[in-house]
Amino acid sequence: MNNKTRLSPSALTAFEAELNDLRKATMAKVGSRDAAHIRRIRGVAQGSAIAGRSLLMFGWGPISWVLGVISLALAKIIENMEVGHNVMHGQYDWMNDASLNSQTYEWDIVCDGDHWRHSHNVEHHDHTNIIGKDHDFGYGMLRLTESQKWTPATLLQPLYYLILAANFQWGVAVHDVKIGRFVKGRMSRAEFRERMRPFLRKAGRQLFKDYVLFPALAFWQWPRVLLGNLLANLIRNLWTNAIIFCGHFTAHAQTWTRAEVEGETQGQWYLRQIQGSSNLEGGPMFHLLSGHLSHQIEHHLFPDMPAPRYAEIAPQVREICARYGVYYNSGGFWRQYGGVLARIVRHALPSTPQPVTA
Amino acid sequence: MFTVTAQITMNSLHATVPTKRSPLRRVLGSPLLAPFNQPQAWDRLTTAIKPTWSWAEPRAKVVRVVDEAPGVRSLWLQPNRRFGSFRPGQHLLLTLDIDGAQHSRCFSLSAAPRRDGLLRLTIRQQAGGPVSTAAHALQSGQVVRLSKAQGQFAPTESELPLLLLSAGSGVTPMMSLLHAMADAQPNRTVHVLHSGRSAETTIFAAELRELAAAWPALQLCLHASGGDGRLDSNRIAGHVPQWQQCETLLCGPADFMQMVQMMYAEAGRSDQLQSESFGRIAAKVDANAAHHSVTTSESKQLFTAQAGQSLLQAAETAGLNPRFGCRRGICRTCQCSKRSGTVRNLLTGEISGAGEELIQLCISTPHSAVELVL
Repeated sequence: MNNKTRLSPSALTAFEAELNDLRKATMAKVGSRDAAHIRRIRGVAQGSAIAGRSLLMFGWGPISWVLGVISLALAKIIENMEVGHNVMHGQYDWMNDASLNSQTYEWDIVCDGDHWRHSHNVEHHDHTNIIGKDHDFGYGMLRLTESQKWTPATLLQPLYYLILAANFQWGVAVHDVKIGRFVKGRMSRAEFRERMRPFLRKAGRQLFKDYVLFPALAFWQWPRVLLGNLLANLIRNLWTNAIIFCGHFTAHAQTWTRAEVEGETQGQWYLRQIQGSSNLEGGPMFHLLSGHLSHQIEHHLFPDMPAPRYAEIAPQVREICARYGVYYNSGGFWRQYGGVLARIVRHALPSTPQPVTA
Repeated sequence: MFTVTAQITMNSLHATVPTKRSPLRRVLGSPLLAPFNQPQAWDRLTTAIKPTWSWAEPRAKVVRVVDEAPGVRSLWLQPNRRFGSFRPGQHLLLTLDIDGAQHSRCFSLSAAPRRDGLLRLTIRQQAGGPVSTAAHALQSGQVVRLSKAQGQFAPTESELPLLLLSAGSGVTPMMSLLHAMADAQPNRTVHVLHSGRSAETTIFAAELRELAAAWPALQLCLHASGGDGRLDSNRIAGHVPQWQQCETLLCGPADFMQMVQMMYAEAGRSDQLQSESFGRIAAKVDANAAHHSVTTSESKQLFTAQAGQSLLQAAETAGLNPRFGCRRGICRTCQCSKRSGTVRNLLTGEISGAGEELIQLCISTPHSAVELVL
């Protein structure tokens, strides 16, 4: 792993100003094109869900079943990633459209919207890759850096990871309940119950929808709907998991300790967001299906900028980073994901923190 | 015209009165059936066939555009069936898409309900007003979004003579009322006192004269404030000496309405006066003031924010506990609706509009008095 870049105070100020200017110039361009994009993509997700569920319920034969599963999986991926995640960041709040408002949007996944808004928008995006503060780092179950504690159970983490990947929506859903804290006795039973309530409500709804209501609406065809929904959820889980793990756990993604970020300036915060994130390279369709999280660096710099703008500013961000000697972590999907898997395996074994070489 | 200088966002726009829904409608509207029952999903299809078709949304096609006076234009609209009906004196929210963002304003309907269902909105172009400017740019054939008609502005069934008192574009609800009364109550005495800047710029001067010519019980008085001086209480009493015996309906700019309300209060006649509010006056912007007052509209609490201080800090100093998250402008936990006032974004230095919009408390500092929904 290469080392973190530290900039001199004057360079840091100039670096911060350049990124602020980039944000300002880009946000000034945001308008009808972005509005048309999110409405069109939401339409695609809705149409794909209607087509997929209809094919599963009323279709006949294996071909319609496979098409139904693909269509529904695609709908869930687009709705969760490009619509849900981005809308809930407030990327489209400026449109004054109640159906695209960050604080009220609810997505097609077992994770409760308010839980997500807290664990993701507040904790993860502010405290990105700070060990002990960013609960997204390893999701409380994976050891991905030397500075996390090793126990013999850590040896099994490649297995844990496979289980998490297949059930990723559940990992996301219980994330803000903070079960670990309750198990360790650092949370009262009353608070735990309070935190469980939204999770149980949302999870119950989603289970009822995918595994009771829609199968029942198909009468004797219920098995193909139930299996189809299960498979569509699995495909979505594996895909979102792979994309999201590539965001912050690739080979060169840095981590910070609490002490390191004390008194952090805006420029240092930008620096941490860049060095803690990693991009994926691919075509427009790939970026769309990843909810533009393939531009994780740009997203972490400006979380409320409409996502299609990330591709537009990426060359400028990269150029700024190059000038200041900041490592811009970008690569193809397999290279980055391979790095993630290697990291999961490597830190399953005991390792000691490397002395920082400045 | 009833116009709110503030931009009305989703909070007020979609604050529908809770109505009892039948069990069937509740089931069909359940989020469990999404996206099969999501209006936007089907509206994309229906609008492709016919732009005014909609699952749930009142929409209308502009069928005619008429210039009424310099800078004043009427839109004749053909609404879809979702609009329903309206009563004379009511207003609606007109929603226009301006560079991707939805902006809504209230406008009074300025024609009586008609057999062909056409609606008329009469809109004065405000300098720098994005909605009125966009409304003036509309051409026949274009489609706009509406709300259902709302408001209670209408004369009672009493036998008292009626006084319709208006200034500027406050004449618009009066036109709707007058056209309806000309057919329904031609025998009730009606005084119309309307003030415009000059004879040429007065909205609906010709239409009012035409009405008066065919309607003996209508007493029309047009006041030109440019030549005759501001229409104050003395001049009102001069034009309509029997004003104290009249049931009065009032609509116009805020200062004009305040003056008339004072006049009726002093005479102990407030119960005979109904007003249609003309909207908020934009608060005075002063970037260099040491502090600005902040009101929270629901609790009516008042506190002050120092120059450069974030509204979140100021609210907390005052003992309020608004929701917050990152305190650096990225998570939107503290986002709330600003009813009125101008704020500066502490991150970008951007200055907001004066109207209603969403702001983040942790990165907004006031440049004028501010009203928040907390």
